[in-house]
Amino acid sequence: MIYLDNAATSLIKPAAVGREMLRAMQCCASPGRGGHSAAMRASELVYRCREKAAALFHVPESENVVFTMNATHGLNVAINSLVSKGTRVLISGYEHNAVTRPLKKAGAEILVARSPLFDQASCLRAFREQIGRAQLLVCTMVSNVFGFILPVREIAALCRENGVPLIVDASQAAGTLDVDFEALGAAFLAMPGHKGLFGPQGTGLLLCRKKGTPLLAGGSGSDSILQEMPDYLPDRHEAGTQNVPGIAGLLAGMEYVEQKTPRAILEEEHALLRLTGESLAEDERIELFRGPDGTQSGVLSFRIRGMDCDEAAGLLSERGVCLRSGLHCAPLAHRSAGTLDTGTLRLSLSPFVSREEIRAFCGMLRELLDGLR
Amino acid sequence: MKYLIMCKSLTNAQRAALELTRRGIDASVVKAPQSLRENGCGYAVSLYRRLDEAAVILRDARVLTGRIYRRADDGSYREVEDRDLSR
Repeated sequence: MIYLDNAATSLIKPAAVGREMLRAMQCCASPGRGGHSAAMRASELVYRCREKAAALFHVPESENVVFTMNATHGLNVAINSLVSKGTRVLISGYEHNAVTRPLKKAGAEILVARSPLFDQASCLRAFREQIGRAQLLVCTMVSNVFGFILPVREIAALCRENGVPLIVDASQAAGTLDVDFEALGAAFLAMPGHKGLFGPQGTGLLLCRKKGTPLLAGGSGSDSILQEMPDYLPDRHEAGTQNVPGIAGLLAGMEYVEQKTPRAILEEEHALLRLTGESLAEDERIELFRGPDGTQSGVLSFRIRGMDCDEAAGLLSERGVCLRSGLHCAPLAHRSAGTLDTGTLRLSLSPFVSREEIRAFCGMLRELLDGLR
Repeated sequence: MKYLIMCKSLTNAQRAALELTRRGIDASVVKAPQSLRENGCGYAVSLYRRLDEAAVILRDARVLTGRIYRRADDGSYREVEDRDLSR
Protein backbone atom coordinates (compact mmCIF):
# COMPACT_ATOMS: atom_id res chain seq x y z
CA MET A 1 0.00 0.00 0.00
CA ILE A 2 1.16 3.53 -0.80
CA TYR A 3 -0.66 5.84 1.58
CA LEU A 4 -1.06 9.39 0.26
CA ASP A 5 -4.15 10.57 2.12
CA ASN A 6 -2.53 12.22 5.12
CA ALA A 7 -4.63 15.37 4.85
CA ALA A 8 -7.60 13.21 5.83
CA THR A 9 -5.85 11.08 8.44
CA SER A 10 -2.18 10.31 8.95
CA LEU A 11 -2.51 6.55 8.92
CA ILE A 12 1.15 5.75 9.50
CA LYS A 13 2.02 7.00 12.98
CA PRO A 14 5.14 7.06 15.12
CA ALA A 15 5.36 3.71 16.95
CA ALA A 16 4.96 5.40 20.33
CA VAL A 17 1.40 6.49 19.49
CA GLY A 18 -0.10 3.00 19.52
CA ARG A 19 2.10 1.94 22.41
CA GLU A 20 1.00 4.83 24.62
CA MET A 21 -2.65 4.32 23.70
CA LEU A 22 -2.49 0.70 24.78
CA ARG A 23 -0.73 1.65 27.99
CA ALA A 24 -3.41 4.24 28.76
CA MET A 25 -6.18 1.73 28.13
CA GLN A 26 -4.58 -0.64 30.60
CA CYS A 27 -3.55 1.85 33.30
CA CYS A 28 -5.77 4.90 33.20
CA ALA A 29 -9.26 5.31 34.63
CA SER A 30 -11.49 8.40 34.35
CA PRO A 31 -9.59 11.67 34.69
CA GLY A 32 -11.02 14.39 36.89
CA ARG A 33 -13.47 12.12 38.62
CA GLY A 34 -12.02 9.93 41.35
CA GLY A 35 -9.01 10.56 43.52
CA HIS A 36 -7.57 7.03 43.35
CA SER A 37 -4.29 6.18 41.69
CA ALA A 38 -5.71 5.00 38.35
CA ALA A 39 -7.83 8.14 38.07
CA MET A 40 -4.94 10.39 39.03
CA ARG A 41 -2.69 8.66 36.49
CA ALA A 42 -5.25 9.51 33.85
CA SER A 43 -5.47 13.10 35.10
CA GLU A 44 -1.71 13.48 34.97
CA LEU A 45 -1.58 12.13 31.44
CA VAL A 46 -4.31 14.51 30.29
CA TYR A 47 -2.52 17.42 31.95
CA ARG A 48 0.80 16.51 30.31
CA CYS A 49 -0.90 16.55 26.93
CA ARG A 50 -2.50 19.91 27.70
CA GLU A 51 0.87 21.34 28.70
CA LYS A 52 2.51 19.94 25.57
CA ALA A 53 -0.15 21.52 23.37
CA ALA A 54 0.16 24.83 25.19
CA ALA A 55 3.92 24.83 24.62
CA LEU A 56 3.71 23.74 20.98
CA PHE A 57 1.07 26.29 20.03
CA HIS A 58 2.09 29.16 22.29
CA VAL A 59 -0.91 29.22 24.61
CA PRO A 60 0.06 31.14 27.77
CA GLU A 61 -2.01 28.97 30.11
CA SER A 62 -2.76 25.29 29.63
CA GLU A 63 -6.30 25.80 31.01
CA ASN A 64 -7.09 27.39 27.65
CA VAL A 65 -6.41 24.14 25.80
CA VAL A 66 -9.65 22.16 25.40
CA PHE A 67 -9.79 18.57 24.15
CA THR A 68 -12.29 17.92 21.39
CA MET A 69 -13.25 14.99 19.17
CA ASN A 70 -11.79 16.62 16.05
CA ALA A 71 -11.42 20.05 14.44
CA THR A 72 -15.07 20.08 13.36
CA HIS A 73 -16.11 19.73 16.98
CA GLY A 74 -13.84 22.61 17.98
CA LEU A 75 -15.06 24.82 15.14
CA ASN A 76 -18.65 24.13 16.15
CA VAL A 77 -17.91 25.22 19.72
CA ALA A 78 -16.19 28.36 18.47
CA ILE A 79 -18.88 29.30 15.95
CA ASN A 80 -21.68 28.45 18.37
CA SER A 81 -20.00 30.80 20.88
CA LEU A 82 -19.66 33.80 18.59
CA VAL A 83 -22.38 33.56 15.96
CA SER A 84 -26.09 34.12 16.21
CA LYS A 85 -28.72 34.71 13.57
CA GLY A 86 -27.69 37.56 11.31
CA THR A 87 -24.05 37.82 12.49
CA ARG A 88 -21.98 38.96 9.50
CA VAL A 89 -19.08 36.56 9.16
CA LEU A 90 -16.25 37.05 6.68
CA ILE A 91 -14.56 33.84 5.51
CA SER A 92 -11.95 32.92 2.93
CA GLY A 93 -12.88 31.31 -0.35
CA TYR A 94 -11.12 28.12 0.79
CA GLU A 95 -13.13 27.10 3.85
CA HIS A 96 -14.16 23.54 4.59
CA ASN A 97 -17.76 22.50 5.30
CA ALA A 98 -16.66 22.26 8.95
CA VAL A 99 -16.81 26.06 8.86
CA THR A 100 -19.53 26.82 6.34
CA ARG A 101 -22.13 24.35 7.58
CA PRO A 102 -22.03 25.48 11.25
CA LEU A 103 -22.20 29.09 10.05
CA LYS A 104 -25.22 28.29 7.94
CA LYS A 105 -26.82 26.41 10.84
CA ALA A 106 -26.27 29.37 13.17
CA GLY A 107 -27.97 31.69 10.68
CA ALA A 108 -24.88 33.76 9.90
CA GLU A 109 -24.76 36.18 7.01
CA ILE A 110 -21.72 34.85 5.21
CA LEU A 111 -19.39 37.16 3.29
CA VAL A 112 -16.70 35.47 1.20
CA ALA A 113 -13.30 37.05 0.58
CA ARG A 114 -12.76 35.46 -2.82
CA SER A 115 -9.28 35.26 -4.28
CA PRO A 116 -7.41 33.21 -6.89
CA LEU A 117 -5.61 30.05 -5.87
CA PHE A 118 -2.09 30.48 -4.43
CA ASP A 119 -2.36 34.29 -4.53
CA GLN A 120 -1.72 35.40 -0.97
CA ALA A 121 -1.67 39.12 -1.81
CA SER A 122 -5.09 38.94 -3.47
CA CYS A 123 -6.40 36.93 -0.55
CA LEU A 124 -5.32 39.57 1.95
CA ARG A 125 -6.70 42.33 -0.29
CA ALA A 126 -10.06 40.58 -0.45
CA PHE A 127 -10.21 40.41 3.35
CA ARG A 128 -9.17 44.05 3.67
CA GLU A 129 -11.91 45.17 1.29
CA GLN A 130 -14.68 43.51 3.27
CA ILE A 131 -13.55 43.51 6.88
CA GLY A 132 -15.39 46.78 7.56
CA ARG A 133 -18.67 44.90 7.16
CA ALA A 134 -17.68 41.90 9.28
CA GLN A 135 -18.52 41.13 12.91
CA LEU A 136 -16.40 37.97 12.89
CA LEU A 137 -13.76 36.46 10.62
CA VAL A 138 -13.15 32.73 10.17
CA CYS A 139 -10.16 31.57 8.18
CA THR A 140 -8.34 28.36 7.47
CA MET A 141 -4.54 28.43 7.59
CA VAL A 142 -4.20 25.96 4.71
CA SER A 143 -6.73 24.81 2.11
CA ASN A 144 -7.41 21.11 2.61
CA VAL A 145 -7.96 20.69 -1.13
CA PHE A 146 -5.01 22.54 -2.64
CA GLY A 147 -2.56 23.02 0.21
CA PHE A 148 -2.79 26.78 -0.41
CA ILE A 149 -1.20 28.52 2.60
CA LEU A 150 -3.34 31.55 3.40
CA PRO A 151 -1.67 34.65 4.88
CA VAL A 152 -3.26 34.10 8.28
CA ARG A 153 -0.70 36.11 10.23
CA GLU A 154 -1.52 39.20 8.16
CA ILE A 155 -5.25 38.44 8.27
CA ALA A 156 -5.02 38.18 12.06
CA ALA A 157 -3.28 41.58 12.19
CA LEU A 158 -6.12 42.99 10.09
CA CYS A 159 -8.61 41.59 12.59
CA ARG A 160 -6.77 43.15 15.51
CA GLU A 161 -6.61 46.53 13.75
CA ASN A 162 -10.35 46.43 13.11
CA GLY A 163 -11.43 44.90 16.40
CA VAL A 164 -12.95 41.88 14.66
CA PRO A 165 -12.70 38.53 16.51
CA LEU A 166 -11.01 35.71 14.62
CA ILE A 167 -11.56 31.95 14.51
CA VAL A 168 -8.72 29.99 12.91
CA ASP A 169 -9.03 26.55 11.39
CA ALA A 170 -5.56 25.00 11.70
CA SER A 171 -6.63 21.55 10.48
CA GLN A 172 -4.02 21.33 7.75
CA ALA A 173 -1.42 23.50 9.46
CA ALA A 174 -0.88 21.94 12.88
CA GLY A 175 2.29 19.90 12.71
CA THR A 176 3.77 21.57 9.64
CA LEU A 177 3.41 25.34 10.07
CA ASP A 178 4.16 27.59 13.01
CA VAL A 179 0.83 27.88 14.82
CA ASP A 180 1.28 30.70 17.32
CA PHE A 181 -2.00 31.25 19.14
CA GLU A 182 -0.68 34.10 21.25
CA ALA A 183 0.74 36.02 18.30
CA LEU A 184 -2.39 35.55 16.18
CA GLY A 185 -4.61 36.87 18.97
CA ALA A 186 -7.44 34.62 17.77
CA ALA A 187 -10.57 34.13 19.86
CA PHE A 188 -10.47 30.40 19.06
CA LEU A 189 -8.18 28.10 17.09
CA ALA A 190 -9.25 24.56 16.23
CA MET A 191 -7.22 21.60 15.02
CA PRO A 192 -7.60 17.83 14.71
CA GLY A 193 -5.30 15.41 16.48
CA HIS A 194 -5.37 12.77 13.76
CA LYS A 195 -3.68 14.56 10.88
CA GLY A 196 -0.36 16.41 11.22
CA LEU A 197 -0.11 15.78 14.96
CA PHE A 198 -0.16 11.99 14.41
CA GLY A 199 -2.69 11.31 17.15
CA PRO A 200 -5.52 8.83 16.69
CA GLN A 201 -8.90 9.63 15.20
CA GLY A 202 -11.35 11.05 17.71
CA THR A 203 -8.90 13.60 19.08
CA GLY A 204 -8.64 17.33 18.57
CA LEU A 205 -7.75 20.58 20.28
CA LEU A 206 -9.54 23.88 20.68
CA LEU A 207 -7.39 26.76 21.88
CA CYS A 208 -9.56 29.35 23.59
CA ARG A 209 -9.05 33.01 24.41
CA LYS A 210 -12.71 33.37 25.34
CA LYS A 211 -14.77 31.13 27.61
CA GLY A 212 -17.37 30.57 24.91
CA THR A 213 -20.68 28.76 25.03
CA PRO A 214 -20.67 25.02 25.72
CA LEU A 215 -21.92 22.82 22.91
CA LEU A 216 -22.41 19.86 25.24
CA ALA A 217 -23.52 19.79 28.86
CA GLY A 218 -22.90 17.04 31.35
CA GLY A 219 -20.55 15.80 34.01
CA SER A 220 -17.22 17.56 34.25
CA GLY A 221 -16.06 16.28 37.62
CA SER A 222 -16.19 19.82 38.95
CA ASP A 223 -18.80 21.98 40.74
CA SER A 224 -21.24 19.06 40.54
CA ILE A 225 -24.02 20.74 42.48
CA LEU A 226 -24.36 23.49 39.91
CA GLN A 227 -26.68 22.62 37.04
CA GLU A 228 -24.87 24.78 34.52
CA MET A 229 -21.51 23.94 33.02
CA PRO A 230 -18.61 25.48 34.98
CA ASP A 231 -17.79 29.01 33.91
CA TYR A 232 -14.08 28.28 33.62
CA LEU A 233 -11.86 26.54 31.10
CA PRO A 234 -11.24 23.79 30.19
CA ASP A 235 -14.11 22.20 32.18
CA ARG A 236 -16.66 24.41 30.44
CA HIS A 237 -16.20 22.54 27.17
CA GLU A 238 -15.24 19.08 28.39
CA ALA A 239 -18.49 17.38 29.36
CA GLY A 240 -18.30 13.62 29.77
CA THR A 241 -15.37 11.26 30.16
CA GLN A 242 -12.45 12.16 27.98
CA ASN A 243 -10.84 9.97 25.34
CA VAL A 244 -7.83 9.15 27.51
CA PRO A 245 -6.22 6.55 25.20
CA GLY A 246 -6.69 9.04 22.37
CA ILE A 247 -5.09 11.80 24.39
CA ALA A 248 -2.18 9.47 25.23
CA GLY A 249 -1.69 8.85 21.51
CA LEU A 250 -2.00 12.54 20.74
CA LEU A 251 0.65 13.34 23.33
CA ALA A 252 3.02 10.83 21.75
CA GLY A 253 2.26 12.28 18.32
CA MET A 254 2.94 15.83 19.50
CA GLU A 255 6.19 14.73 21.11
CA TYR A 256 7.23 13.35 17.72
CA VAL A 257 6.31 16.65 16.01
CA GLU A 258 8.11 18.67 18.67
CA GLN A 259 11.25 16.57 18.38
CA LYS A 260 11.31 16.60 14.60
CA THR A 261 9.99 20.19 14.39
CA PRO A 262 7.17 21.36 12.10
CA ARG A 263 9.67 23.15 9.88
CA ALA A 264 11.63 19.95 9.19
CA ILE A 265 8.40 18.04 8.55
CA LEU A 266 7.25 20.66 6.06
CA GLU A 267 10.65 20.60 4.34
CA GLU A 268 10.41 16.82 3.94
CA GLU A 269 6.93 17.12 2.53
CA HIS A 270 8.07 19.88 0.15
CA ALA A 271 10.88 17.66 -1.11
CA LEU A 272 8.33 14.92 -1.86
CA LEU A 273 6.01 17.45 -3.48
CA ARG A 274 8.82 18.66 -5.75
CA LEU A 275 9.63 15.09 -6.69
CA THR A 276 5.98 14.45 -7.58
CA GLY A 277 5.77 17.69 -9.52
CA GLU A 278 8.97 17.03 -11.46
CA SER A 279 7.82 13.55 -12.32
CA LEU A 280 4.31 14.48 -13.48
CA ALA A 281 4.68 18.04 -14.76
CA GLU A 282 5.75 16.99 -18.26
CA ASP A 283 2.72 14.78 -18.76
CA GLU A 284 0.08 16.75 -20.65
CA ARG A 285 -2.65 14.39 -19.53
CA ILE A 286 -2.24 15.55 -15.95
CA GLU A 287 -3.15 19.00 -14.65
CA LEU A 288 -1.29 19.79 -11.44
CA PHE A 289 -2.32 22.57 -9.08
CA ARG A 290 1.07 23.87 -7.94
CA GLY A 291 1.75 27.14 -6.18
CA PRO A 292 4.83 29.34 -6.02
CA ASP A 293 7.35 28.73 -3.22
CA GLY A 294 5.92 29.48 0.20
CA THR A 295 2.28 29.19 -0.84
CA GLN A 296 1.72 25.44 -0.73
CA SER A 297 1.90 22.83 2.03
CA GLY A 298 2.39 19.10 1.46
CA VAL A 299 -0.96 18.75 -0.31
CA LEU A 300 -1.28 18.50 -4.08
CA SER A 301 -4.49 18.40 -6.11
CA PHE A 302 -4.53 17.28 -9.71
CA ARG A 303 -6.92 16.31 -12.49
CA ILE A 304 -6.56 13.87 -15.33
CA ARG A 305 -7.83 15.25 -18.61
CA GLY A 306 -10.82 13.34 -19.85
CA MET A 307 -11.11 11.13 -16.79
CA ASP A 308 -13.39 11.33 -13.78
CA CYS A 309 -11.39 11.84 -10.59
CA ASP A 310 -13.32 9.26 -8.60
CA GLU A 311 -12.84 6.65 -11.32
CA ALA A 312 -9.13 7.43 -11.43
CA ALA A 313 -8.87 7.11 -7.65
CA GLY A 314 -10.68 3.77 -7.86
CA LEU A 315 -8.22 2.45 -10.43
CA LEU A 316 -5.29 3.66 -8.36
CA SER A 317 -6.79 2.04 -5.28
CA GLU A 318 -6.84 -1.29 -7.14
CA ARG A 319 -3.09 -0.83 -7.55
CA GLY A 320 -2.61 -0.14 -3.83
CA VAL A 321 -2.50 3.66 -3.91
CA CYS A 322 -4.60 5.47 -1.30
CA LEU A 323 -5.49 9.02 -2.23
CA ARG A 324 -8.66 11.04 -2.07
CA SER A 325 -10.91 12.20 -4.86
CA GLY A 326 -13.96 14.41 -5.18
CA LEU A 327 -14.76 17.69 -3.48
CA HIS A 328 -12.99 16.91 -0.20
CA CYS A 329 -15.89 18.43 1.82
CA ALA A 330 -14.87 21.86 0.56
CA PRO A 331 -17.11 22.93 -2.34
CA LEU A 332 -16.27 26.58 -1.67
CA ALA A 333 -12.57 25.93 -2.32
CA HIS A 334 -13.42 24.26 -5.61
CA ARG A 335 -15.65 27.15 -6.59
CA SER A 336 -12.76 29.53 -5.90
CA ALA A 337 -10.34 27.45 -7.95
CA GLY A 338 -12.75 26.65 -10.78
CA THR A 339 -12.83 22.88 -10.14
CA LEU A 340 -16.33 22.51 -8.71
CA ASP A 341 -17.64 20.66 -11.75
CA THR A 342 -14.93 17.99 -11.73
CA GLY A 343 -13.47 17.81 -8.25
CA THR A 344 -9.83 16.79 -7.97
CA LEU A 345 -7.59 13.95 -7.00
CA ARG A 346 -5.56 14.90 -3.95
CA LEU A 347 -2.36 13.45 -2.65
CA SER A 348 -1.18 14.55 0.76
CA LEU A 349 2.20 13.79 2.27
CA SER A 350 3.79 13.05 5.59
CA PRO A 351 7.29 12.24 6.84
CA PHE A 352 6.30 8.58 6.64
CA VAL A 353 6.03 8.69 2.85
CA SER A 354 9.26 7.69 1.09
CA ARG A 355 10.75 8.93 -2.18
CA GLU A 356 10.50 5.38 -3.49
CA GLU A 357 6.76 5.38 -2.84
CA ILE A 358 6.38 8.67 -4.72
CA ARG A 359 8.36 7.31 -7.67
CA ALA A 360 6.26 4.13 -7.64
CA PHE A 361 3.02 6.13 -7.51
CA CYS A 362 4.07 8.37 -10.41
CA GLY A 363 5.06 5.31 -12.44
CA MET A 364 1.72 3.62 -11.69
CA LEU A 365 -0.22 6.71 -12.66
CA ARG A 366 1.60 6.99 -16.00
CA GLU A 367 1.11 3.27 -16.67
CA LEU A 368 -2.56 3.60 -15.87
CA LEU A 369 -2.95 6.47 -18.31
CA ASP A 370 -0.92 4.65 -20.99
CA GLY A 371 -3.22 1.66 -20.65
CA LEU A 372 -6.27 3.81 -21.25
CA ARG A 373 -5.09 5.10 -24.63
CA MET B 1 0.52 19.71 59.32
CA LYS B 2 -1.50 19.10 56.21
CA TYR B 3 -2.75 22.01 54.16
CA LEU B 4 -5.21 22.07 51.29
CA ILE B 5 -5.23 24.83 48.73
CA MET B 6 -8.59 24.76 47.00
CA CYS B 7 -8.61 25.09 43.22
CA LYS B 8 -11.38 25.97 40.81
CA SER B 9 -10.62 23.03 38.50
CA LEU B 10 -8.51 19.92 38.22
CA THR B 11 -6.37 21.58 35.56
CA ASN B 12 -5.90 24.56 37.81
CA ALA B 13 -4.85 22.29 40.67
CA GLN B 14 -2.41 20.46 38.40
CA ARG B 15 -0.87 23.72 37.29
CA ALA B 16 -0.55 24.87 40.90
CA ALA B 17 1.07 21.59 41.97
CA LEU B 18 3.49 21.76 39.06
CA GLU B 19 4.52 25.33 39.91
CA LEU B 20 5.24 24.26 43.49
CA THR B 21 7.13 21.07 42.69
CA ARG B 22 9.24 22.93 40.13
CA ARG B 23 10.32 25.16 43.02
CA GLY B 24 11.08 22.27 45.31
CA ILE B 25 7.90 22.21 47.37
CA ASP B 26 6.31 18.78 47.70
CA ALA B 27 2.73 19.18 46.56
CA SER B 28 0.16 16.84 45.11
CA VAL B 29 -3.28 17.04 43.61
CA VAL B 30 -6.04 15.46 45.69
CA LYS B 31 -9.79 15.30 45.52
CA ALA B 32 -11.11 18.04 47.79
CA PRO B 33 -13.31 16.94 50.71
CA GLN B 34 -16.97 17.59 49.98
CA SER B 35 -17.29 19.50 53.24
CA LEU B 36 -14.96 22.16 51.86
CA ARG B 37 -16.64 22.55 48.47
CA GLU B 38 -19.59 24.85 48.09
CA ASN B 39 -20.55 23.46 44.68
CA GLY B 40 -19.74 19.79 44.93
CA CYS B 41 -16.77 17.92 43.51
CA GLY B 42 -13.43 19.57 42.96
CA TYR B 43 -9.71 19.28 43.50
CA ALA B 44 -7.12 20.81 45.76
CA VAL B 45 -3.37 20.94 46.17
CA SER B 46 -2.11 19.19 49.25
CA LEU B 47 1.14 20.06 51.02
CA TYR B 48 2.63 19.57 54.45
CA ARG B 49 5.06 22.43 54.83
CA ARG B 50 6.23 25.74 53.43
CA LEU B 51 2.69 27.05 53.02
CA ASP B 52 3.74 30.70 53.21
CA GLU B 53 6.26 30.19 50.45
CA ALA B 54 3.75 28.24 48.36
CA ALA B 55 1.18 31.01 48.59
CA VAL B 56 3.71 33.54 47.34
CA ILE B 57 4.83 31.27 44.48
CA LEU B 58 1.26 30.72 43.31
CA ARG B 59 0.43 34.40 43.56
CA ASP B 60 3.55 35.37 41.60
CA ALA B 61 2.82 32.71 38.97
CA ARG B 62 -0.71 34.10 38.76
CA VAL B 63 -2.28 30.72 39.45
CA LEU B 64 -5.71 31.48 40.81
CA THR B 65 -6.49 29.46 43.87
CA GLY B 66 -9.26 29.50 46.42
CA ARG B 67 -9.37 29.18 50.15
CA ILE B 68 -6.63 27.43 52.12
CA TYR B 69 -7.40 24.96 54.90
CA ARG B 70 -5.33 23.37 57.65
CA ARG B 71 -6.23 19.88 58.77
CA ALA B 72 -6.39 19.51 62.56
CA ASP B 73 -5.46 16.33 64.43
CA ASP B 74 -9.15 15.48 64.84
CA GLY B 75 -9.61 15.48 61.07
CA SER B 76 -11.47 18.76 60.91
CA TYR B 77 -10.42 21.60 58.62
CA ARG B 78 -9.93 25.19 59.59
CA GLU B 79 -9.51 27.97 57.09
CA VAL B 80 -6.14 29.67 57.01
CA GLU B 81 -6.83 33.37 56.82
CA ASP B 82 -4.75 35.63 54.68
CA ARG B 83 -3.47 37.37 57.77
CA ASP B 84 -2.16 34.06 59.11
CA LEU B 85 0.25 33.80 56.23
CA SER B 86 3.54 35.54 56.91
CA ARG B 87 3.93 37.37 53.59
